[in-house]
Amino acid sequence: MKGRVYLDHNASTQVHPEVVAAMLPYFGERFGNPSSVHGFGREAREGLEIAREQIADFLRVAKEEVIFTSGGTESDNLAIKGVAGARGSGHIITSQIEHHAVLRTCEVLEGQGFAVTYLPVDGDGLVNPDDVRRAIRPDTILITIMHANSEVGTIEPVEAIGPIARERGIPFHVDGVQTFGKVPIDLERFGIALLSFSSHKIYGPKGVAGLYIRKGTKMVSVQHGGEHERRRRAGTENVPGIVGFGKAVEIRAREMDAEAVRLTALRNRFWAGVQSRVQEVRLNGHPTRRLPGTLNMCFRHVESESIVLGLDLKGVGVSAGSACTSGNVEPSYVLVAMGVPLDWAMGSVRATLGRENTDEDIDYALEVLPPLVERLRSLSPAAVP
Amino acid sequence: MNYSETLIDHFRNPRNAGMMREPDGVGEDTFDGCGDLARFYLRVVDGRVVDVRFQTYGCGPTIAASSAGSELATGRPVADLVAVSEQDVTAAVDGLPDERLHAAQVVAGALRAAARDYLSRRSAPSGSEVRQHA
Ligand SMILES: Cc1ncc(COP(=O)(O)O)c(C=O)c1O
Repeated sequence: MKGRVYLDHNASTQVHPEVVAAMLPYFGERFGNPSSVHGFGREAREGLEIAREQIADFLRVAKEEVIFTSGGTESDNLAIKGVAGARGSGHIITSQIEHHAVLRTCEVLEGQGFAVTYLPVDGDGLVNPDDVRRAIRPDTILITIMHANSEVGTIEPVEAIGPIARERGIPFHVDGVQTFGKVPIDLERFGIALLSFSSHKIYGPKGVAGLYIRKGTKMVSVQHGGEHERRRRAGTENVPGIVGFGKAVEIRAREMDAEAVRLTALRNRFWAGVQSRVQEVRLNGHPTRRLPGTLNMCFRHVESESIVLGLDLKGVGVSAGSACTSGNVEPSYVLVAMGVPLDWAMGSVRATLGRENTDEDIDYALEVLPPLVERLRSLSPAAVP
Repeated sequence: MNYSETLIDHFRNPRNAGMMREPDGVGEDTFDGCGDLARFYLRVVDGRVVDVRFQTYGCGPTIAASSAGSELATGRPVADLVAVSEQDVTAAVDGLPDERLHAAQVVAGALRAAARDYLSRRSAPSGSEVRQHA
């Protein structure tokens, strides 16, 4: 058997060796608190500010517009609650397929009296910008739409939604956790006021992320207790993590474009291989407007988790679209919103490729996946006439 | 998720998978919301299960529990099988994580349904029995 093949890069990634090397000194001699006045503190502060610069350069924004948080989840929470808190009441527009960090936050705000519109998506997972325009009310205070969906990889038309928001003077928040460092983001052209982005999806460490806040965006802070991050986010910064994040972004800047081309080709080859070897399989997500490495497929009459377990036993790591918790299977809410029929949605599997994947990895996956699906189908009463 | 070696073995190499022609008893059970479905076919001689086949749609644990359940049923008196419990099936796969206990529930339910089907056919011939968890 071949070694292990990791095809779950939308979940998390392996930290790049150069990133690890960049972080190490900040666990060691540069351990100071970046808020301290002395030399120890200044050294830590220097690492923090270099990272901020690396990220600001990458996004082509001012350093002051980038703050660090503990993860994409916190960035989403801060962006949404921050804007909502500054306004006190009003209406928020989002979509049905956002990450839970956005959906649950919006639901909490609904409980506090805010109104929220959850826009539908089409069969490819796209939000219609005209729907956004129609949903705007006089009291709309925020539009929050993700850049790419983590499950199916569909890239939303943020470039069309942003200008609508800008025209009406409504701040536009984009959850860019799955696109940052993978596909270009033009904050100015897309009309983005707030962008969430995370480190561990792009070969940086976990528990570090950022939020871009365009100058002049009115927000309140969500956690209190210090003057850190320009009073936007209290708490001593995770210096080694942030240093690693900055390094990861610097590497993405030089590797991103070529890798996007390579991963798209690899993913398309994977899909073509599956299609030619397995019957009753469908692709989920937009055929072309999709994250380079993301392949979400449904195998009819097979249950997602049995495929995930079967592949795991062959050393291949993928993720299941539907998750069975406490004997209650939730077919993916994203696939449901896209109108994928239930008997297909239950068999969805997501493979997400990344920088260390090779042609051999895909060959191996294509060798083990089709017989597994066939075997599971042979056990299933639904597939047997 | 951490699964026992026994469970993994049954998932990799399911015993007694498939259909049975003209079985003496058939029963199935499904798990609401989950979509998991197990169906068992029994061959019975002198009140004792001599052969079992199963067909299952579901997650790995449900497939493994079906295989283990088929072994558990083989050789048993039908009178026993009507009382097979979720715990019996859980034990047969060397334990299940809490979030996957439904696997044993579906399999035990389907085995009991098949046993009852056999018994009811003997008293008054009728169709196979299908049961659903509430
Ligand atoms: C679109 C999206 N938003 C937010 C998050 C949360 O990011 P983090 O894991 O850094 O909290 C994720 C991670 O899965 C994501 O895919």
